[in-house]
Amino acid sequence: MKYLCLGYYEERAWRALPEGDRQSLLEECRAYDEALWKNGYYLCGNALPGASGTITLRFEHGKVSVTEGPFCQSREQLGGILVLEAKDLNHAIQLMSRLPCMQMGGCLEIRPVEPAQKVNGELK
Amino acid sequence: MKYLLLVYMDEQAMNQAERAQCYKDSMQLCHDLVAEGQYLAASPLQPVATATSLRIREGKRLVTDGPFAETREQLGGYFLIDAEDLDSALAVAAKIPAARKGTIEVRPVLEIPNLPTDSRRESAVAVAT
Repeated sequence: MKYLCLGYYEERAWRALPEGDRQSLLEECRAYDEALWKNGYYLCGNALPGASGTITLRFEHGKVSVTEGPFCQSREQLGGILVLEAKDLNHAIQLMSRLPCMQMGGCLEIRPVEPAQKVNGELK
Repeated sequence: MKYLLLVYMDEQAMNQAERAQCYKDSMQLCHDLVAEGQYLAASPLQPVATATSLRIREGKRLVTDGPFAETREQLGGYFLIDAEDLDSALAVAAKIPAARKGTIEVRPVLEIPNLPTDSRRESAVAVAT
Protein backbone atom coordinates (compact mmCIF):
# COMPACT_ATOMS: atom_id res chain seq x y z
CA MET A 1 0.00 0.00 0.00
CA LYS A 2 1.14 3.50 -0.80
CA TYR A 3 1.61 6.14 1.87
CA LEU A 4 2.50 9.81 1.50
CA CYS A 5 4.82 10.79 4.35
CA LEU A 6 5.09 14.50 5.15
CA GLY A 7 8.03 15.54 7.35
CA TYR A 8 7.61 18.68 9.46
CA TYR A 9 10.56 20.24 11.28
CA GLU A 10 11.48 23.38 13.16
CA GLU A 11 13.63 25.53 10.87
CA ARG A 12 15.20 27.44 13.74
CA ALA A 13 16.42 24.22 15.39
CA TRP A 14 17.81 23.05 12.05
CA ARG A 15 19.69 26.30 11.40
CA ALA A 16 21.10 26.21 14.95
CA LEU A 17 22.93 22.97 14.16
CA PRO A 18 26.57 23.35 13.10
CA GLU A 19 26.99 23.08 9.30
CA GLY A 20 28.94 19.81 9.66
CA ASP A 21 26.12 18.22 11.68
CA ARG A 22 23.52 19.35 9.12
CA GLN A 23 25.50 17.82 6.27
CA SER A 24 26.05 14.56 8.18
CA LEU A 25 22.35 14.28 8.95
CA LEU A 26 21.41 14.97 5.32
CA GLU A 27 23.85 12.29 4.19
CA GLU A 28 22.43 9.80 6.73
CA CYS A 29 18.92 10.53 5.45
CA ARG A 30 20.03 10.10 1.85
CA ALA A 31 21.68 6.76 2.71
CA TYR A 32 18.49 5.64 4.51
CA ASP A 33 16.39 6.63 1.49
CA GLU A 34 18.70 4.51 -0.66
CA ALA A 35 18.29 1.52 1.69
CA LEU A 36 14.50 1.96 1.46
CA TRP A 37 14.74 2.14 -2.33
CA LYS A 38 16.86 -1.03 -2.54
CA ASN A 39 14.17 -2.85 -0.54
CA GLY A 40 11.41 -1.57 -2.83
CA TYR A 41 9.84 0.68 -0.20
CA TYR A 42 10.86 4.08 -1.58
CA LEU A 43 8.83 5.31 -4.55
CA CYS A 44 9.80 8.95 -4.62
CA GLY A 45 10.93 11.70 -2.31
CA ASN A 46 11.54 15.39 -2.43
CA ALA A 47 13.23 17.77 -0.02
CA LEU A 48 11.91 21.30 0.29
CA PRO A 49 13.94 24.39 1.17
CA GLY A 50 12.68 26.57 4.04
CA ALA A 51 9.15 27.90 4.06
CA SER A 52 10.26 31.24 2.59
CA GLY A 53 9.83 30.97 -1.18
CA THR A 54 6.45 29.33 -0.64
CA ILE A 55 3.38 30.78 -2.34
CA THR A 56 -0.25 30.09 -1.46
CA LEU A 57 -3.07 30.40 -3.99
CA ARG A 58 -6.73 30.88 -3.22
CA PHE A 59 -9.79 31.67 -5.28
CA GLU A 60 -11.65 34.61 -3.84
CA HIS A 61 -14.57 36.39 -5.50
CA GLY A 62 -13.81 34.57 -8.76
CA LYS A 63 -10.17 35.70 -8.83
CA VAL A 64 -6.93 34.01 -7.93
CA SER A 65 -5.28 35.58 -4.90
CA VAL A 66 -1.58 34.91 -4.42
CA THR A 67 0.03 35.22 -0.99
CA GLU A 68 3.63 34.71 0.05
CA GLY A 69 4.04 32.13 2.74
CA PRO A 70 2.82 28.62 3.54
CA PHE A 71 -0.77 27.41 3.90
CA CYS A 72 -0.41 27.11 7.67
CA GLN A 73 1.73 29.37 9.85
CA SER A 74 3.04 26.82 12.29
CA ARG A 75 6.25 26.55 14.27
CA GLU A 76 7.10 23.33 12.44
CA GLN A 77 7.02 23.56 8.64
CA LEU A 78 7.02 20.99 5.85
CA GLY A 79 10.59 19.98 5.01
CA GLY A 80 10.06 17.11 2.63
CA ILE A 81 7.80 14.37 1.34
CA LEU A 82 8.34 10.69 0.67
CA VAL A 83 6.02 8.24 -1.07
CA LEU A 84 6.40 4.85 0.58
CA GLU A 85 5.28 1.38 -0.47
CA ALA A 86 4.64 -0.52 2.78
CA LYS A 87 2.74 -3.67 3.80
CA ASP A 88 0.40 -1.73 6.08
CA LEU A 89 0.32 1.29 8.38
CA ASN A 90 2.37 -0.41 11.11
CA HIS A 91 5.06 -1.22 8.59
CA ALA A 92 5.05 2.40 7.36
CA ILE A 93 5.41 3.60 10.97
CA GLN A 94 8.32 1.22 11.59
CA LEU A 95 10.13 2.33 8.43
CA MET A 96 9.65 6.05 9.10
CA SER A 97 10.59 5.76 12.80
CA ARG A 98 14.12 4.92 11.69
CA LEU A 99 14.47 7.91 9.33
CA PRO A 100 17.57 9.62 10.79
CA CYS A 101 16.14 13.16 10.81
CA MET A 102 13.28 12.00 13.09
CA GLN A 103 15.78 12.17 15.97
CA MET A 104 15.84 15.95 15.57
CA GLY A 105 12.27 16.25 16.74
CA GLY A 106 9.51 17.39 14.43
CA CYS A 107 6.61 15.33 13.21
CA LEU A 108 5.95 12.98 10.32
CA GLU A 109 2.40 12.68 9.03
CA ILE A 110 1.49 9.46 7.23
CA ARG A 111 -1.43 9.55 4.77
CA PRO A 112 -2.71 6.55 2.81
CA VAL A 113 -2.87 7.35 -0.90
CA GLU A 114 -5.79 6.56 -3.20
CA PRO A 115 -5.07 3.50 -5.36
CA ALA A 116 -3.43 4.35 -8.71
CA GLN A 117 -4.74 3.59 -12.16
CA LYS A 118 -2.75 3.69 -15.34
CA VAL A 119 -3.41 6.47 -17.83
CA ASN A 120 -3.86 4.83 -21.21
CA GLY A 121 -5.60 7.66 -23.00
CA GLU A 122 -8.75 6.98 -21.05
CA LEU A 123 -10.51 9.13 -18.57
CA LYS A 124 -11.86 7.06 -15.68
CA MET B 1 12.56 23.24 -11.90
CA LYS B 2 10.46 20.98 -9.75
CA TYR B 3 7.53 22.32 -7.75
CA LEU B 4 5.31 20.57 -5.24
CA LEU B 5 1.67 21.75 -5.32
CA LEU B 6 -0.20 20.83 -2.15
CA VAL B 7 -4.00 20.88 -2.43
CA TYR B 8 -5.88 21.84 0.74
CA MET B 9 -9.65 21.77 1.01
CA ASP B 10 -12.41 21.44 3.59
CA GLU B 11 -13.50 17.81 3.14
CA GLN B 12 -17.11 18.93 3.51
CA ALA B 13 -16.82 21.54 0.76
CA MET B 14 -17.89 19.15 -2.02
CA ASN B 15 -20.72 16.66 -2.27
CA GLN B 16 -20.13 13.26 -3.85
CA ALA B 17 -21.07 14.38 -7.36
CA GLU B 18 -18.83 17.47 -7.16
CA ARG B 19 -15.96 15.34 -5.86
CA ALA B 20 -16.36 12.82 -8.71
CA GLN B 21 -16.31 15.70 -11.21
CA CYS B 22 -13.28 17.18 -9.47
CA TYR B 23 -11.38 13.88 -9.80
CA LYS B 24 -12.35 13.66 -13.49
CA ASP B 25 -11.20 17.25 -14.13
CA SER B 26 -7.98 16.61 -12.18
CA MET B 27 -7.31 13.55 -14.32
CA GLN B 28 -7.73 15.72 -17.41
CA LEU B 29 -5.26 18.23 -15.95
CA CYS B 30 -2.77 15.39 -15.45
CA HIS B 31 -3.21 14.36 -19.10
CA ASP B 32 -2.61 17.97 -20.17
CA LEU B 33 0.51 18.19 -18.01
CA VAL B 34 1.84 14.93 -19.48
CA ALA B 35 1.33 16.41 -22.97
CA GLU B 36 3.27 19.53 -21.91
CA GLY B 37 6.06 17.45 -20.41
CA GLN B 38 5.37 18.94 -16.97
CA TYR B 39 3.85 15.97 -15.13
CA LEU B 40 6.01 14.17 -12.59
CA ALA B 41 3.50 12.76 -10.08
CA ALA B 42 0.07 13.40 -8.57
CA SER B 43 -2.31 11.72 -6.20
CA PRO B 44 -5.41 12.34 -4.15
CA LEU B 45 -5.14 11.18 -0.55
CA GLN B 46 -7.61 9.19 1.47
CA PRO B 47 -9.64 11.26 3.97
CA VAL B 48 -7.84 12.97 6.83
CA ALA B 49 -9.49 10.56 9.27
CA THR B 50 -6.96 8.00 8.01
CA ALA B 51 -3.96 10.21 8.88
CA THR B 52 -1.38 9.14 11.47
CA SER B 53 1.30 11.35 13.02
CA LEU B 54 4.65 10.06 14.22
CA ARG B 55 7.13 11.73 16.54
CA ILE B 56 10.36 10.46 18.07
CA ARG B 57 11.13 11.96 21.45
CA GLU B 58 14.09 10.81 23.58
CA GLY B 59 14.36 7.72 21.41
CA LYS B 60 10.70 6.77 21.95
CA ARG B 61 8.08 6.46 19.23
CA LEU B 62 4.90 8.51 19.75
CA VAL B 63 2.08 7.67 17.36
CA THR B 64 -1.17 9.63 17.28
CA ASP B 65 -4.25 9.35 15.07
CA GLY B 66 -4.81 12.45 13.02
CA PRO B 67 -2.89 14.91 10.88
CA PHE B 68 0.05 17.10 11.86
CA ALA B 69 -2.20 20.19 12.18
CA GLU B 70 -5.91 20.36 12.89
CA THR B 71 -7.03 22.95 10.36
CA ARG B 72 -10.38 23.47 8.67
CA GLU B 73 -8.86 22.85 5.25
CA GLN B 74 -6.89 19.63 5.11
CA LEU B 75 -4.41 18.17 2.63
CA GLY B 76 -6.41 16.28 0.01
CA GLY B 77 -3.79 15.60 -2.64
CA TYR B 78 -0.68 16.81 -4.41
CA PHE B 79 0.90 17.41 -7.81
CA LEU B 80 4.64 17.28 -8.49
CA ILE B 81 5.47 19.19 -11.68
CA ASP B 82 8.35 20.42 -13.77
CA ALA B 83 7.96 24.12 -14.55
CA GLU B 84 10.20 26.78 -16.00
CA ASP B 85 9.78 29.16 -13.09
CA LEU B 86 7.45 30.15 -10.28
CA ASP B 87 5.02 31.99 -12.59
CA SER B 88 4.68 28.88 -14.71
CA ALA B 89 4.10 26.76 -11.59
CA LEU B 90 1.46 29.22 -10.37
CA ALA B 91 -0.30 29.01 -13.74
CA VAL B 92 -0.55 25.22 -13.30
CA ALA B 93 -1.72 25.61 -9.69
CA ALA B 94 -4.51 27.93 -10.79
CA LYS B 95 -5.82 25.19 -13.08
CA ILE B 96 -6.16 22.62 -10.30
CA PRO B 97 -9.93 22.02 -10.02
CA ALA B 98 -9.89 21.98 -6.20
CA ALA B 99 -8.33 25.48 -6.21
CA ARG B 100 -11.82 26.92 -6.65
CA LYS B 101 -12.94 25.54 -3.32
CA GLY B 102 -9.67 25.33 -1.42
CA THR B 103 -6.07 26.50 -1.24
CA ILE B 104 -2.98 25.46 -3.17
CA GLU B 105 0.44 25.77 -1.57
CA VAL B 106 3.29 26.00 -4.09
CA ARG B 107 6.73 24.86 -2.89
CA PRO B 108 9.91 24.80 -4.94
CA VAL B 109 11.68 21.47 -4.48
CA LEU B 110 15.28 21.27 -3.27
CA GLU B 111 17.35 19.25 -5.74
CA ILE B 112 19.56 16.91 -3.73
CA PRO B 113 22.20 15.00 -5.68
CA ASN B 114 22.17 11.20 -5.51
CA LEU B 115 18.67 10.82 -4.12
CA PRO B 116 17.23 7.53 -5.38
CA THR B 117 14.74 7.81 -8.23
CA ASP B 118 11.97 5.43 -9.13
CA SER B 119 13.69 3.80 -12.11
CA ARG B 120 10.78 1.34 -12.32
CA ARG B 121 8.44 4.08 -13.56
CA GLU B 122 6.86 2.82 -16.78
CA SER B 123 6.30 4.82 -19.93
CA ALA B 124 2.54 4.71 -19.31
CA VAL B 125 2.28 7.16 -16.43
CA ALA B 126 0.42 5.95 -13.32
CA VAL B 127 -2.00 8.56 -12.13
CA ALA B 128 -4.33 8.29 -9.17
CA THR B 129 -7.99 8.85 -9.90
